[in-house]
Amino acid sequence: MSVNFVKAAALALTGVLSLSAGSVMAQEAKSLDELLNYVKQGQVSEAKENRAREAKFSKDKANQAAALQRAEAERARQEQLSAELEAKFEQNELLISAKQQQLQEKLGTLTELFGHLTSAAGDLSSNIEVSLASAQYPGRGEFLKELIDKMSNSDTLPSIEEIERVWFELMREIRETGVVTTFDAEVSSPAGERAPRQVLRVGAFNIVDTNGNYLSYDGGSLSELPRQPSGPYTGWASNLANASGGLNSFGVDPTGPTGGSFLAAIIDTPTLEERWHQGGYVGYAITAVGIFAFVLAIWRMLVLTAVGGKVNSQLKNLSKANTNNPLGRVLKIHEDNPTMDTETLELKLSEGVLKETPKLESGLTLLKIIAAVAPLMGLLGTVTGMIITFQAITIFGAGDPKAMAGGISGALITTVLGLLVAIPTVLLHTVVNGRAQRIIHVLDEQTTGMIAEHTEANLRS
Amino acid sequence: MGGMSEVLLGFMDKGGDVLWLIAALLFVMWTLIFERVWYLQLGWKKDVAQVIAKWEGRSERKSWEAFQIREMMISQTRMQINRNLPVIKTLVALCPLLGLLGTVTGMIEVFNIMAVTGGGDAKSMAGGVQQATIPTMAGMVAALSGVFANTYVTRIAQRESVFLQDNLTTDH
Repeated sequence: MSVNFVKAAALALTGVLSLSAGSVMAQEAKSLDELLNYVKQGQVSEAKENRAREAKFSKDKANQAAALQRAEAERARQEQLSAELEAKFEQNELLISAKQQQLQEKLGTLTELFGHLTSAAGDLSSNIEVSLASAQYPGRGEFLKELIDKMSNSDTLPSIEEIERVWFELMREIRETGVVTTFDAEVSSPAGERAPRQVLRVGAFNIVDTNGNYLSYDGGSLSELPRQPSGPYTGWASNLANASGGLNSFGVDPTGPTGGSFLAAIIDTPTLEERWHQGGYVGYAITAVGIFAFVLAIWRMLVLTAVGGKVNSQLKNLSKANTNNPLGRVLKIHEDNPTMDTETLELKLSEGVLKETPKLESGLTLLKIIAAVAPLMGLLGTVTGMIITFQAITIFGAGDPKAMAGGISGALITTVLGLLVAIPTVLLHTVVNGRAQRIIHVLDEQTTGMIAEHTEANLRS
Repeated sequence: MGGMSEVLLGFMDKGGDVLWLIAALLFVMWTLIFERVWYLQLGWKKDVAQVIAKWEGRSERKSWEAFQIREMMISQTRMQINRNLPVIKTLVALCPLLGLLGTVTGMIEVFNIMAVTGGGDAKSMAGGVQQATIPTMAGMVAALSGVFANTYVTRIAQRESVFLQDNLTTDH
């Protein structure tokens, strides 16, 4: 009632305002007096209108009262209906609980059985979701999920067929985890293309295709591992995939396809080449030095072997000096000057030996230096690697060992490279030096003796 | 005997591949050392007797020629007694280097495991630490054994070559 009145009053007020504004706009006020006059006139006319409205409202009042009466009657009727329905609801409630109790009594121990069935189906469902056998038999998970939904609703009961199927799936899963079998499945390649391929499943542990690639099973689809484990594992896989029978060795990851941590660790292990690259620029420098040392040592060894052979043949035939070897060239000094006195001969011979020695010893000092420098270069790499590590600590903090491990492995690789270059170089230096020293000994200490023996023999004959 | 070789194989397995390198090096080194000891015990006396007989058999031991020939004979025999000694010395020096190599490869293994497992698993890292420390120890032991043997052989070789020089007497 009061709301209606407020509404009407608001309507009236807006009407008045628009009217007065309209009249002001219609008649241009010439002066302030004139404006005042207009306002007065307007007030007069508004008062008149208001009185007319009041009369109209009082006439409507009777109508409003009748409408109110009608509404109240309707409310009473509805309230009665609600009370009737509530009473019926309560009746039904009682009936439902009675019926449910009846159902409980009739089910008896079956409730417990269905509880076990639900939990068994749940376990099986989570097992099947990650099981490799699901790649071969898709759609098993959907059935189990539907069954679990159905049982948790508690208004329907599973059929005998469904219960038997759970048992069947359980038995099939147990059987499939123990067999090696081939089947066709859609496999996505690392490039993302999907194509059907013949694949081989080893129990619930690994799936390989007939080319020997390890596959991973995730989210219901098979995909080829972007990087295959190196070493013998790939060969084993293809051997097994193409074998018709008998015993085959095969790399099985016992942690399975979803755990798969062994396979992942094998794949994560860097190859030798990747390890070498971890050494960085220092590693490349060490490798270059090492290759140079190796080539130099091999070349010197070949040269010294050839020279040694010639010296040996010269040793057997001292009477005729051959200038293609150092010993022959030294002997030639004596041969060319047969009448020389002993002191001059000795001087001349030692001069000849001095001329030959550097040729035989060339490259040996370099090899020795490389053998000493290579570990030092490795140490340099270690220190630069440690600097990188400490920079990583400054940026990422010491909390993440993975951020530091990169720098550290780089540091260690250079040390390894340094040692790997130094150790063979030291050995090669010793061997090459041994050959050179043997020839130098022959030249240095034995030439004069040979000449003396030769002249003596000539004198005697 | 079978238990012994099993223990040995287990040890080699713990130490990693570098341990096999050290073992091979040690084998070569001791073969060379035993060869030297064998020669010094059996071959050397015969060679010395031969050289002395040849020298004493000369008609004169005074002339320039005689002196030069004596020097040559001493040099030749010395080459005989000193053979392989530098190689033994180098192999002794290489043993600790190989041990160091094993240390570093073992440490790489440790950091590899760290990168995969995140460093939380001390047990899985222990394998790498074993690979790091066992070759170091093996290298040290190998070098020590070699140092003593090498010193012994070198000293005998030196003494014997001086002894030979003294035995080839000259007439005045």
